[in-house]
Amino acid sequence: MEPFVASLTYLFQPWPMALVFIGVISGIVIGSIPGLTTTMLITLTLPLTFFMDSVNAITLLVAMYVGGISGSQIAATLLRMPGTPASIMTTFDGYPMSQSGRSERALGLGITSSFIGGIISFIFLALLSPPLAKLALTFGPWEYFTMVLMALVMLASLSQGSLIKGLIAACLGMMVHLPGVDPSIGQMRLTFGVESLESGLKLMPVLIGAFAVSQIFKDIIMIDARPPAVSVGRTGMWLSYRDLKKYAVNFGRSSVIGTWVGILPGIGANIAAMLSYSAAKNSSKEPEKFGTGHEPGVIAAETANNASIGGALVPLITMGIPGSVVDAILIGALIIHNLEPGPLLFTTNPEIAYGVITAYLLGNLIMFGIMMFAVVHIAKVLYVPRAYLLASILMFCVIGVFAVGNSFWDVWIMLLFGVVGFIMERIKMPLGPFVIGFVLSPIAEAQLRSGLMSTEGSIEPLFTRPFSATFLAISILALCWPLYSEWKRKKAENVGAAAE
Amino acid sequence: MQNQVNPKTEIFVCIGLIVFSAIVYWASLSLPEPEYEPLGSAALPQGLAVLMSVLCVIVILRAIPRLKTFEVKRDINPEVTPRPMISVTVFIATLIFVGVLDFGILNFVPAGTIYLSLVGFLMTHRDVKKLPWIVGFSIVLTVSSFMLFTKVFYIDLP
Repeated sequence: MEPFVASLTYLFQPWPMALVFIGVISGIVIGSIPGLTTTMLITLTLPLTFFMDSVNAITLLVAMYVGGISGSQIAATLLRMPGTPASIMTTFDGYPMSQSGRSERALGLGITSSFIGGIISFIFLALLSPPLAKLALTFGPWEYFTMVLMALVMLASLSQGSLIKGLIAACLGMMVHLPGVDPSIGQMRLTFGVESLESGLKLMPVLIGAFAVSQIFKDIIMIDARPPAVSVGRTGMWLSYRDLKKYAVNFGRSSVIGTWVGILPGIGANIAAMLSYSAAKNSSKEPEKFGTGHEPGVIAAETANNASIGGALVPLITMGIPGSVVDAILIGALIIHNLEPGPLLFTTNPEIAYGVITAYLLGNLIMFGIMMFAVVHIAKVLYVPRAYLLASILMFCVIGVFAVGNSFWDVWIMLLFGVVGFIMERIKMPLGPFVIGFVLSPIAEAQLRSGLMSTEGSIEPLFTRPFSATFLAISILALCWPLYSEWKRKKAENVGAAAE
Repeated sequence: MQNQVNPKTEIFVCIGLIVFSAIVYWASLSLPEPEYEPLGSAALPQGLAVLMSVLCVIVILRAIPRLKTFEVKRDINPEVTPRPMISVTVFIATLIFVGVLDFGILNFVPAGTIYLSLVGFLMTHRDVKKLPWIVGFSIVLTVSSFMLFTKVFYIDLP
């Protein structure tokens, strides 16, 4: 309890508090603009955090994460254009509500749901993280290797696109990390005689290229898209005690689903919202009303997507395993600040581990205040001229990447990965497994080799140690499940065709 | 934007990835044999190269039957015309901008102002009426970024 209180006290000082405000506001603004994602904002902010104290840096990024996921509901509700994929499910009922003149009610429900989901998820985060970190301290190289494998396979099988493409993206991410010094024995490899490759490809140019630059060029193609004008008032946003009581079960169920899905490695807020929406629909007495502007639909989607953030932070601070793509970037931020993500974080840098937990709590409180009082003004951001915005972001990508390493090599690499990210998007190859593969491949390789050294080449512990065997079994299941589902779907189609 | 992936693009990208895997595999052949531990430095690159090639072959085999049946459909936002050429031109302008800075042809402030003005002009469909606003915006943004990075973060921009 003591480190938690100390961390909270620190956050209430003027500068950290200002950073939480800045983070939440910028997250809401960027999250609300369709095409600009939370991932992009956090990636672009990374170079600036290089010059900050580690706790402040991580506080700012977590606040952006909270703001971004919550802010994305504005465009989803008002324009049926989800600011981020996390709000796709919100469009199903939020937009019809908005079209029937209930924009304020839809936004009020969404904001309150995000807040409640965030707070319940925070409780799980605060209670689960310290004991999980203690448990993770007992893990050896085999457990770590299989855990990384599980994260990669789950992300590949559950993210957008096909399993095969997800696996290709993960392999590509791991291969991109290969040039440079071999982490286990210090052997130089795959540098092709290029001196700049000896230190390997850095995280920042690859991330900014793949996420920000590729997204900008994608947005420029649709530069003529103009959102239709909508008006939002101030009244009718606050939920009554009766509303809260009426929807209590939905809030609770969606928060638990969101948190649980978030904890599973590699699965994002969009899957959490989807599962929660399905659960709400299946348990409803009026399932036919879902998709027509039904309030429980907005609640289920928004509670779960925000709750998934807290859930995703659990494996990040306890094991150093990203629960989502944004978490992979947060791991990158820790590495940039010379911190080792993993169970030791609670022992060696408790201020960071508890900083993440308290920043998440404070971020949610501030998000609720800002969104409830200023959503009318924030909605105007949807109409910012794209030409100015995209041009500015592009220039910031260039100087941001240059600033960190003072090198134009990094800028060229960023542009190269901008093209790679753009091509991957064009063929619907998910970027998530690529980034997680890039971030986790050195850990996976080092742990596997360390494990093999200790057993003189035997892989028996993979199957005999309980945790590694469990992680391996989950990986195999995650790999086989999409194949089984596809086979079942095709079989059903064939049966249907034969019946006709 | 297309609502379906063009199988030609898929095949082309996968062939590119197979070539990339082959290069990685070939380069890892020159790495020394493992001495101090069982796996060695070459195992991961070689394993990944083989795995990626196999996966790419699967994607190619799945894409081939769709070559004849594939039709380009647009359904995301039929009122908006996609502008791929603007995107390509902005990318080329960005390459030139980075090249100009890298080779020291111009400093950041003039290069940034010209670049932002050009990119903004292209993205507003070369609307001359908007040009003075774009140039003004470019000057303000470039100078303020320069001040922020050099005076606040103490980073020397070129």
